[in-house]
Amino acid sequence: MSATPKAKVLPFETRATRAARSRRGKSAEAQEKVDLRKKIEELEAKLRSVESSTRVPEGLVIELTRFFAQGVGTLSWDRVARLLSAGHFAWHSEETDEFGYDPKFTETIRPFLEFMYTVWWRVETTGIERVPGSGPTLVVANHSGVLPWDGPMINVALRHEHPARRHCRMLALDMFALLPFLAPLLSRSGAIRANPENAIRILERGELVGVFPEGVKGVGKAFKNRYKLARFGRGGFVRIALKTGATIVPTAVVGAEEIHPNLAQANFIGRPFGLPYFPLTPTFPWLGLFGTIPFPTKWSIDFGEPLDLSRYPKEAADDPILVNRLSEQVRQQIQTIIDGRLARRRSVWFG
Amino acid sequence: MGRIAITGASSFLGERFLRRLIRDGHGDDIVVIDVAEPSISFGSIHFRKVDLTQPAADQAMLDLLKADDIETLVHMAFFTSPRRDTTNAHELESIGTLAVLAAAAAANVKNFVMRSFTFVYGARAENPALIREGTPLPPRAPLGWLRDKVEAEEHAASFAKRYPEMAVRVLRFAPLLGPYVRTFYTRILDRRLVPTLMGYDPLLQLLHPDDAEEALVRATFSDARGAFNITPRSVLPLATGIHLSGKVPAPVPHLVAYLAVDALYAAGIVEAPSGFIDYVRYPCVADGEKAKRGLDFVAKYSSREALDSYIAYRHPARETADAEPGTENVAEEVAADAAEGRR
Repeated sequence: MSATPKAKVLPFETRATRAARSRRGKSAEAQEKVDLRKKIEELEAKLRSVESSTRVPEGLVIELTRFFAQGVGTLSWDRVARLLSAGHFAWHSEETDEFGYDPKFTETIRPFLEFMYTVWWRVETTGIERVPGSGPTLVVANHSGVLPWDGPMINVALRHEHPARRHCRMLALDMFALLPFLAPLLSRSGAIRANPENAIRILERGELVGVFPEGVKGVGKAFKNRYKLARFGRGGFVRIALKTGATIVPTAVVGAEEIHPNLAQANFIGRPFGLPYFPLTPTFPWLGLFGTIPFPTKWSIDFGEPLDLSRYPKEAADDPILVNRLSEQVRQQIQTIIDGRLARRRSVWFG
Repeated sequence: MGRIAITGASSFLGERFLRRLIRDGHGDDIVVIDVAEPSISFGSIHFRKVDLTQPAADQAMLDLLKADDIETLVHMAFFTSPRRDTTNAHELESIGTLAVLAAAAAANVKNFVMRSFTFVYGARAENPALIREGTPLPPRAPLGWLRDKVEAEEHAASFAKRYPEMAVRVLRFAPLLGPYVRTFYTRILDRRLVPTLMGYDPLLQLLHPDDAEEALVRATFSDARGAFNITPRSVLPLATGIHLSGKVPAPVPHLVAYLAVDALYAAGIVEAPSGFIDYVRYPCVADGEKAKRGLDFVAKYSSREALDSYIAYRHPARETADAEPGTENVAEEVAADAAEGRR
């Protein structure tokens, strides 16, 4: 058997190359594993969302059936109460946390918020990897849009695009806690009243908190001032972050300014109702409730470079000059991201 | 342990507290101070008659505190439900507390324990989610009922500062709910149709009487100082509570509610003025951390369990009514009769 010609080919399979190949194979295998795991995770998430959107409130169905089967002749308070209770608990949990967060209710409205996120505003999110996967985190964003839609959208972004699926506890303005219907909606979906005590409590549990330091000045700003960041309060968010050692993630939301163009203010109308402002937009109040449907602009949410405050001691929270400097730094950072976005944006509707 | 004097012992919580002290073997050390002798016999306890609304109440209190050599004074003479006679309520709660405090300080009472309410924080949209004891109390409370209690708290705080040798403890109890609790809000809850405010669903804290009693006992035999929130284990949204207790909510727009309740109050139809509506509109939830540290008190019951226990007491037939729809009316009547008999 003449092995010489074959032997010439052999050098290709030296020990080194074999090892290299198997290494490559191993890394390819590992890569494949990671890919598969990712795919499984994605499918699981999809399954969860499908399950939640098609979940039948069994208690309600049973009560409805019973209610109609028994006929109207024997109508009693107890039957009405049972039916209403079944209706309530079809979409609400029986327990909430001490801030009123109701996980079941949040699941119930999630498909709607996802629709707004993916279809209505086609939100483009960048820099999500800059948000830490755990530990106290403060997402600081610009506030706009008359109605605080930017809050839930940031929440959806973090919930769906962040690998850790972090739940964001939004700090809601007192005025929204005042408003009927909106107040319970916010607290049930995990928002808390903007108040340093509340925020510190949540951050100390290592959770993620979203805050709009512009406050009313931001969400109710006139259309002509759009994308010009208002003063960031008195830097309360920096003090909170310094006290709790939280990481600040500056975040820019573009697109929300145009959902309800606030052309003029008629604040005297809102005052008797306890509202700090009363907007006049192209559709509100002229079209009544239809006027509260936001315009389908194109949104982007950009998470900026995080600001690590761990090098400052806790006492730094009592240094007003430092607090203001950091606050201003975050504001500038957000303004820069916004300006960059606006320069690249060609259309309000299509981005 | 020295002798314990109790004012307001004929109140619901006072009576429970008294029974508990007797059960724990302190019966001989108790002096009950009241306008009328307790209707229920408590065995060997001593009774002293003092009317705190009288101008010379402080002197009378001082005399008997000295004569009986009182070491601990538990002051619980407060109204849990609003009074039509607001002048009398003011005399008893604000001025009466001042008299009791003055007498206690002059008689060198070592411990002064006062009953208060988490209601004193007021229900406001800007309240923190969990109100701590250090939060300033509203200076001009819109409700007379509340104003008197805030004033009593202010008197207690100023005496605590002026007489550091007297340990002043103020217990701010979350609203009580449980078997045998009868107040203005339980009478609203007893209706089938429970009025609520349209579009509002604040978180509530409901304290089981067992927990309230336990906290009171712990505070009496403690040496801590200051105010303590006595709260249940968790909170309960109003709507959840109404649906859990099998009631039908009747949402009323708030613009109408305040006017309507004021009109109905003036007409004598409802028990409480419109200021109380704030408590079903905005949150008034207190933080119980300090009581855990200072009094070693942790509630056994959650708000929901307190509500469940109340519903089981008011509607004992509900479980069977669920099983047999035909019998529910009979069961309701039996329950109502039983409740009447108890009263």
